[in-house]
Amino acid sequence: MRWVDFKDSVRRFWEDFKHQKAGITGLILLILLVVLAIGAPYMTSPDVPVKWQTGVAWITNPKNAPPSWENYFTSQTRAVQAEYTITNMHVQTIKNGTYTIYKLSLTYNMKYDVPPADIVVMGLHSNATNPKQVPQVQMALVRPPEKGVKDNRLNLISQITLPNNNAIQVAHLDQTRNHVLYWLYLNGVLKIPNVPPSMITPDNINMFVMTNTTLYQMVAAMDSMRVMFGRLTDSNGNPLPIEKVISTPQSLKGTYGLVITITVPSNVKVDFTNFKVAFVGRTYGLLGTDQYGRPIALGILWGTRVALAIGLAVAITSVLIGILIGVTSAYLGGWADEAIQRFTEFMMTLPVLPMLILLSLYFGGRVNLTQLVFFLVIFGWMGTSKVARSMALQIKEQTYVEAARALGASTGRVVFKHIVPQLLPYAFASIALSVPGAILSEAGLSFLGLTSQNLITWGQMLNTAHQNGATINGYWWQVIPPGLAISFVGLVFVLLGVSLDTVLNPRLKRA
Amino acid sequence: MFILTNVYICAFFGENYLKFNWQVKPVRLAWISNVPGGDRMGMSFGKYVAYRTVNAIIILFLAVLLMSALFTKLATIQLESQVQSTVVQEARTYAQQHGIPPTKEWLDQRTKYWEHYYGLDQPYWKRTWRYTVDTFFFKWGQSIVPVFGTHDIKQQIWSALLRTILLFTTAEILVIIIGLGLGVKSAQKPGSLLDRTISILAMLTTSLPMWWLGMLMILLFVVYLGWLPITLYSQVEVNGVANLLKKMSLPVLTIVINLFGGWAWTTRNIMIGTMQEDFIMVARAKGVPERKVIYGHALKASAPPIITMIIFGLIGSLSGAIITEIVFNWPGMGRLYWQALQMNAVKTMMALNYMFAILTVFSMVLADVLYAYLDPRVRIGAAASS
Repeated sequence: MRWVDFKDSVRRFWEDFKHQKAGITGLILLILLVVLAIGAPYMTSPDVPVKWQTGVAWITNPKNAPPSWENYFTSQTRAVQAEYTITNMHVQTIKNGTYTIYKLSLTYNMKYDVPPADIVVMGLHSNATNPKQVPQVQMALVRPPEKGVKDNRLNLISQITLPNNNAIQVAHLDQTRNHVLYWLYLNGVLKIPNVPPSMITPDNINMFVMTNTTLYQMVAAMDSMRVMFGRLTDSNGNPLPIEKVISTPQSLKGTYGLVITITVPSNVKVDFTNFKVAFVGRTYGLLGTDQYGRPIALGILWGTRVALAIGLAVAITSVLIGILIGVTSAYLGGWADEAIQRFTEFMMTLPVLPMLILLSLYFGGRVNLTQLVFFLVIFGWMGTSKVARSMALQIKEQTYVEAARALGASTGRVVFKHIVPQLLPYAFASIALSVPGAILSEAGLSFLGLTSQNLITWGQMLNTAHQNGATINGYWWQVIPPGLAISFVGLVFVLLGVSLDTVLNPRLKRA
Repeated sequence: MFILTNVYICAFFGENYLKFNWQVKPVRLAWISNVPGGDRMGMSFGKYVAYRTVNAIIILFLAVLLMSALFTKLATIQLESQVQSTVVQEARTYAQQHGIPPTKEWLDQRTKYWEHYYGLDQPYWKRTWRYTVDTFFFKWGQSIVPVFGTHDIKQQIWSALLRTILLFTTAEILVIIIGLGLGVKSAQKPGSLLDRTISILAMLTTSLPMWWLGMLMILLFVVYLGWLPITLYSQVEVNGVANLLKKMSLPVLTIVINLFGGWAWTTRNIMIGTMQEDFIMVARAKGVPERKVIYGHALKASAPPIITMIIFGLIGSLSGAIITEIVFNWPGMGRLYWQALQMNAVKTMMALNYMFAILTVFSMVLADVLYAYLDPRVRIGAAASS
């Protein structure tokens, strides 16, 4: 085939393909997928695959949180994730003797029916060398004014150390819970009879609470965050009953302030570049999070890379190998053909999924990308080779092949000049149509937990969801998106493949 | 036989593997006749069956040999740790009885004894061979960890097999009925609304992983609509026939939704392929009513591939869809495989692999033989050389 012929046939192909609505749709979607796959590291950050495996990176994220837009469909709006860096805070530095005090304050607009699930402070870095020099953190919440409440300022943490790489999760601190109880006591919501007020402090209030069994049970089940951001008084300014405040809290909407005071010895340097304060949402981002707090949307985006890589690598390799083997078999004929055919049948006989499981186990239980592609190619070439062989057998008998041979064309020339080009249209359609199979097999193996954890794949996301009991618990955002993504990629290639088939094998055009 | 093989593989695993190879394939039956043995001119039917059976047994044995070679390594790792823990146990008992820890020679001797006991002192190929032969003749023995409350692997697989048959055969029968009906209907009017709907449905459903569809079903019918109790799918075992039927409902629905589109599409393609043949034109030309052309002539001529497809589907359904069973906690072959995988029950896995291989090989043989019976061209091999 000369270059001009090639150009001509490409042009003619495009003329035909243009009119295939399904094919054009598939092509546009494929380009979109490729852009997403290549752009993933630039759109997010290149270290996502490393972070994906560690729990540390997702500590500020809520666990099993639904997507934020679910708020539009629910009667109660739930808090959305909000994160602050040092640039969003007001910083005040005070020198006090041998100590330096950093006073960081920020404002948070709480406009939800269900307040944030937690407040996390992290990423403080100091060059402290001994434990005594480690930064000390104090924290207080300034609530919007509420009628009948004496003190708007609620201490959350009176003193806690924050070493490097550590995080403070306010909702889980006993200290914070005691402060909240004390504050309820100060505002007349929590009543402790027969004890003079001077005897009660945040440190010992829990002891008094324990003496009352019903109160204690109520407090044990308390979500401190909801109380912190909840109403204490009714519209007349009278304190609400304790059950209402603790068990069925109503949120107090408005602008809150958070004041964080960090005390360090003056000779210790503190680095705020990575400092982060997160109001952990009850909902998260576009597609919510899984049980480790990893954003589903991020996984879906990165999963495109593996899916396309595996799908295309497996499809192209297995189709090419299949055609090569099929044509060789047809061309050689005789005992070689017989041997190749018996081998092909043998390979077809092996049960695919069990064999893939077995191979994965043989290679250590968790296979990496290259191994996976290799396995899928091993079990993917037979179909193509059978078709290629029968097509090559027909072409071999054509008169022009005979003519070429009579003119003295060598075997290689006949095969590569006359037989293989005829098979190329079939090959293209076949490649497109075998991509979904490869992706589905990968998803299946990942679902069984047999692929390397260094990959972010949709199958593994479904595996995580299954381990989490996502279906039974109704965490739809962990189940639906990965599967949709798999089906979507599959559909794109089916659309492409069907259109290619129709254009390239005109015999099929019917009706 | 290629189309059928792929249809069969797809039906067999239900995990859509290779589905796309047949799904939109032009059903040109010319090369179907490239059946092994098909080119042996004038072979009698009996001989053909015998030839295919012997061929299948040889292939099966080779498959087991290959699987055993892989499995022996896994088994070795497991047995070695078993030997180690046994010896450590013995050393502890020895120390308690004699008051002194055992000598190194004693330990070595015990290790050797157990290694010999498990056959670990044999060379790799010898153990592979023994394993192959044992597996091939159903001497599966006992699994180290109990599965389904028994150590006997044969019993484990038997109970799993029955449940899988129940679930997948029911589903497969429904799929066949719906798929054939719709396929024939849409072949009557290619390009009609029904035809296009089926094509789109086939494309859509074949791109869905069946097990994911299952998860969606649970989400919808159990969690959101609450039509079925959660315990039905969070637990493996259920009591009573009523509950069993209830538990079956969702997986059956899943399988039907996932597969009927592909079936309808394939049937349509086979039918359309037949409708383009000359004899249909002749029938129409001589004024045979259209209904009779379709159901009398075309369907009859399409019968061989369709019936073979049914056989494939039915037998293939026995091994079920491994992952779909896991999702629904259905205690069949797939769930058993998964459980064995989790518990590292190597022998159970090997036996299951063998069962899958047997089902694969013999359904292929059955389909080939049936095809040859229905379509004598295959046997005579007239088409092969044309």
